[in-house]
Amino acid sequence: MDRFLFAGGFKRRVLVIDDEFINRELLGNMLAEHYEVVYAENGQEALEKLQGDESDISLILLDLLMPVMDGFTFIEKIQENEILKRIPIIVMTSEKEAEVKSIKLGAADFITKPYDMPEVILARCERIIHLSEDNIIIKSTEKDHVTGLFTRDYFFEYIKRIEAHRKAPADVLVFNIDRFHLVNEMYGRTVGNTVLMRVADTLGEVLKDIAIIACRPEADTFYVYCDHIEDYSPLINEIQDKFINSSGSAKIRLRSGIYLNADAETDIEIRFDRAKTACDKIRGDFTASVSYYSKDLHLRSIYQERLIKDIDQAIENGDLKVYDITDVKPKLRSAEALIRWVHPELGIVHPGDFIPLFESNGLIQKVDNYVWSKAAQQIKEWKEKFGRSISVSVNVSRIDIFDPALKEKLRKIIESNGLDEKELMLEITESAYADNAGSLTEVTNSLRESGFKIEMDDFGAGYSSLNMITTIPIDVLKLDMGFVRKMEENDKNLKLVEIILDIAKFLDVPVVAEGVETKAQLDMLKCMGCQIIQGYYFSKPVPADEFEKFIVQENG
Amino acid sequence: MLTIDKLNEYGANTAEGVARCMGNEALYLRLASTVADQPEFAKLNDFIASGDLNSAFEAAHALKGVLANLSITPLYEKVCEITELLRARTDTDYSPLLSEIGSLKDELKRLIDSE
Repeated sequence: MDRFLFAGGFKRRVLVIDDEFINRELLGNMLAEHYEVVYAENGQEALEKLQGDESDISLILLDLLMPVMDGFTFIEKIQENEILKRIPIIVMTSEKEAEVKSIKLGAADFITKPYDMPEVILARCERIIHLSEDNIIIKSTEKDHVTGLFTRDYFFEYIKRIEAHRKAPADVLVFNIDRFHLVNEMYGRTVGNTVLMRVADTLGEVLKDIAIIACRPEADTFYVYCDHIEDYSPLINEIQDKFINSSGSAKIRLRSGIYLNADAETDIEIRFDRAKTACDKIRGDFTASVSYYSKDLHLRSIYQERLIKDIDQAIENGDLKVYDITDVKPKLRSAEALIRWVHPELGIVHPGDFIPLFESNGLIQKVDNYVWSKAAQQIKEWKEKFGRSISVSVNVSRIDIFDPALKEKLRKIIESNGLDEKELMLEITESAYADNAGSLTEVTNSLRESGFKIEMDDFGAGYSSLNMITTIPIDVLKLDMGFVRKMEENDKNLKLVEIILDIAKFLDVPVVAEGVETKAQLDMLKCMGCQIIQGYYFSKPVPADEFEKFIVQENG
Repeated sequence: MLTIDKLNEYGANTAEGVARCMGNEALYLRLASTVADQPEFAKLNDFIASGDLNSAFEAAHALKGVLANLSITPLYEKVCEITELLRARTDTDYSPLLSEIGSLKDELKRLIDSE
């Protein structure tokens, strides 16, 4: 660092205040090689220079006994000025008592008279300037200017120092404001900053008895290092209440992740990463405001990291298998491609373990692209082998919808396999609608105009909106298997399925009932007019070669 | 003209004084040449004569600092002596000490002015 600070002929300025010409000359001669030296004959002249053009002084060397204004008065005057008081002062004196008084008044150090050898004086000057500059830099960077909490690096550094002496158990807390980016976008940065300040104030008030140090490591996240307590429920509730009251809105919500009695042997940053993992786990879950880090969560996050690391290899090695499940209409006409991951070491990885994970980090696009290509190749092979077209449905994840290159990617796959667009059926889910209804409508319209068929998958699994099926242009509605399973439980559930089928009929959209497992379910659905059925009752998902048996059977 | 040899003969610790000047003999001699003309010598006499021991102390103290930094030992020692007496505002006859200081200063002045 020093290399850069002293580079380019840059010299810091030192102000020498002494009424004796000989003393000024001696010091000037010692300092001139390393510093630009400015002189004053007494405290008054020095003050005038500092308040004028000579304000960029890095160090003051001060004599005490001087006419007009002596050294002590000068120190007192300079201490009254917020900016000038940051300049370190080295007092030059031959009096022991004066040394103590100067340090008490605010001097950084003293040099005895007669002067030490020049090397000693230069070393002391350099040390004081560095200490002072380091101090100024620390003061201006250790705190977050918005909330007054520490910044990330200082926070961790201070905890390391605290833990060198403190052996008592500690808890690691992470807080995050749900959907904070919307606050900034909708109300502007000033309101956003006010919200951040309120969070900091609320945490400070409620956690005051246990909090040791806190920081804001990034935009809407807060870290707090606390004395260990067993039960955070009352405090978390109090934080929520106070925060909602002070922000005047229940729409802004704080999520928290807590690593109780965090293992002090583990690096402090990793401990906070773990609490953050717990905090992220309840992102979007409006029923939970706190989540605790646990061994299970730890194992799960390690497992997920492994899946993230291995997905490229899995695609390359063909460990991702595309299975097919039939849609049974009066005749077999289509299939749905489902993904299976047979990991060489972990065994079968359930789609529920990797699909939501990859949806959250964007890796799902790789998986989707792979499935689209495989499914298209399959359609082509079956066409060549059996002389008939069996269309295959593939998933188009939320993130694909917002990919500007989506249509181009699909078009290339279709073209390279010599297919018609309608043969690769595109399944979208209602969650994409909740994210951005406008974009979804636009993208589906555009895909349909190009000839693709759009299927609404898992309809009814999440927060379905009737508005959605009337605004999104779709070709097929796939009824979530949850409806089929609950259908037999009571009349209310049965009636719900009937209503959905009626609406679909009114909109002239065919419905596929998913997850049909029994003859009774099949009969009920048929009775209500649902003609396309999918489920274990007919077939479980099977590899392509097994699926071909259905085609052969029908052809035969 | 003052030289290192003359100052050594006078009793100054020139090695120490030159070291404080970062080895710059010319600077040392230039500064030492101004010592005899320091106005504090006259002030010291005047303030003592008028009984203003506070101001006399300040003048003595200032001289002491300069002489110490240049290691003009004989003058420094006498000025130290008078500084300590003045610091305590001692009620005494300062004339013998002032006379000694005057003689040492004059001797230095002669060294400066001599060829």
